[in-house]
Amino acid sequence: MNAVAYRVLVVEDDPHLAAGVVENLRAEGYQVDTLSDGRKAVEWFDRHSCDLIVLDVMLPGMDGFAVCSTLRSRGTTTPVLFLTALGETADRVRGLEAGGDDYLAKPFHLQEFLLRVRAILRRWDWYRASVRAQGAQVLKFGGNEADFRTFRGRSWNGEPQELTEKEAMILKVLSETPGEIVSREDLLEKVWGYDVFPSTRTVDNFILRLRKRFERDPANPVHFLTVWGVGYRFMPGEPP
Amino acid sequence: MKRTRVFQITVLLLVIVAAVQDGYWLYDQHQRGAERTAALSRLYAQQAEAARALLAAGAPPAQVQKLFPDLAVQSGSVSVGRETQAMLLSEQQQRLRQYLWEGGFFLFALCACIGAIFAALRAETRVLNEQEQFLALVSHQFKTPLASLQLSLETMSLRQLPPEQSRTLIERMLADLTRMETMVGQILDSSRLSHGRMELRRETVPLQQAVSRVVNQYLERAHGDHIDIESQVPEQLQVLSDPLAVDAVVRNVLENALAAVAPVGGGKVSLVARAVGAEVELAVRDSGIGFKADDEEQLFRKFSRLNAGAGSRYYGTGLGLFIVRRLMQLTGGRVSASSAGLGRGAEFLLHWPRAGEQA
Repeated sequence: MNAVAYRVLVVEDDPHLAAGVVENLRAEGYQVDTLSDGRKAVEWFDRHSCDLIVLDVMLPGMDGFAVCSTLRSRGTTTPVLFLTALGETADRVRGLEAGGDDYLAKPFHLQEFLLRVRAILRRWDWYRASVRAQGAQVLKFGGNEADFRTFRGRSWNGEPQELTEKEAMILKVLSETPGEIVSREDLLEKVWGYDVFPSTRTVDNFILRLRKRFERDPANPVHFLTVWGVGYRFMPGEPP
Repeated sequence: MKRTRVFQITVLLLVIVAAVQDGYWLYDQHQRGAERTAALSRLYAQQAEAARALLAAGAPPAQVQKLFPDLAVQSGSVSVGRETQAMLLSEQQQRLRQYLWEGGFFLFALCACIGAIFAALRAETRVLNEQEQFLALVSHQFKTPLASLQLSLETMSLRQLPPEQSRTLIERMLADLTRMETMVGQILDSSRLSHGRMELRRETVPLQQAVSRVVNQYLERAHGDHIDIESQVPEQLQVLSDPLAVDAVVRNVLENALAAVAPVGGGKVSLVARAVGAEVELAVRDSGIGFKADDEEQLFRKFSRLNAGAGSRYYGTGLGLFIVRRLMQLTGGRVSASSAGLGRGAEFLLHWPRAGEQA
């Protein structure tokens, strides 16, 4: 892994913690920028870009969840690792639903932090590489379209869709093996990496969101099929 | 929570049962009264029948009237006397009124008792909730310095660091420890202040001494941050307060001002005191980061940190200004804050009751 190429933005208002995180990321060969204000972090993306955001939740200016969802709504797909003292399950889920990729509760272990940073960057490498390798970056199924590069799509009724990067990744994993069963655990492993979630139930929520976007009748799906007790199956065919 | 709910339902059932019982009792008494009245009416009717029979048999009406004093016997006709009728009616109404009052009072007393119990329970729940929130906030506050401490230690154990970087990390760890120590002290103080358990005296405190004592302790730190501290406190000014409270208030406000100026690369903090009517006013102005007008109330709230550590190497625990306000309230003073906006400095006004001037 060529870590030098990666640029990481650390948004943390505690100077000591920020310094510690930045020094360690630099020692690992990452290029690091740092900010201590949520609103400034959003503005930063007007002129810059990076490969990963390490984001605190309790920030002055704008909280981390809001920063993340604002960035997502503006089309920024950069992965986010939340770093926060709020360690409750509900907070974790909130962070991930706001568009975060991973969640680490303070106080955390340095090696685990570095591992997670590497894992997120590796997943994104996989995603980008597989999008590139596939040539066609737009997936077409049942009158729907999804562009894996821009995360934009269009549903069967012509409605434009802005996919979150998790939705895009899930769609990517499922569409790589059309017609075959992909287990929830596989999806978790490929899209999130490891036990970020309290349960595989959250995968189900993302599938529900995909159905809402692309199924003519989300209650009777024809593309995103549930295989009870196992996982999901993606059927690209036209609806009967 | 669950137990409270069970209790609430039980009490509600009790009230319903009591109300039904009360209603039934009222109804029962009313029925009995009505039956008694009906029985009396029947008795009078029988008497009237007998009186009519006697009259028909030729008995003189005056004699019949004497025999049946409750009836009105006139030549040829017999009826229940007007007074008797009125008596029957009023007795029934009186009884009904009495029952209504008694029943109503019983229900009222019951509801009042239950209300009192509920109010006590609610107060207890509120205290419990506050304590729980406080604990959650406290543990949250500790997590950041803990995380920083752990990160520094793990960095040292994971990496081979040059001596000067090790020294930086050690200094950082020491500062984190100091931060936690300060927090423990402040948390204890604020908890005591929240529950009004702090014993505060009320005596004459010479303000100049109190201010210069605190200022002297911060001169070195201010110098390091390129901050000038200027204090103008007339020697004769004395306030009525607790000496320790005055010290804590001035210290916290000054610390807040220094932390607000440090991030902008230096500036000025001034402490100016004057007598205003029956009060002494100490104005602490800084040329620091300031705050938005809407945030004034939030400044004094527990654990609120508007510019938490923004570029500053000093940490707020979010308790300092809360302690200031509580201490001022408890010692008969008050505090307010204002700022022309972000980046435009701030002013904190402390008002104490004025004590007699020094000779």
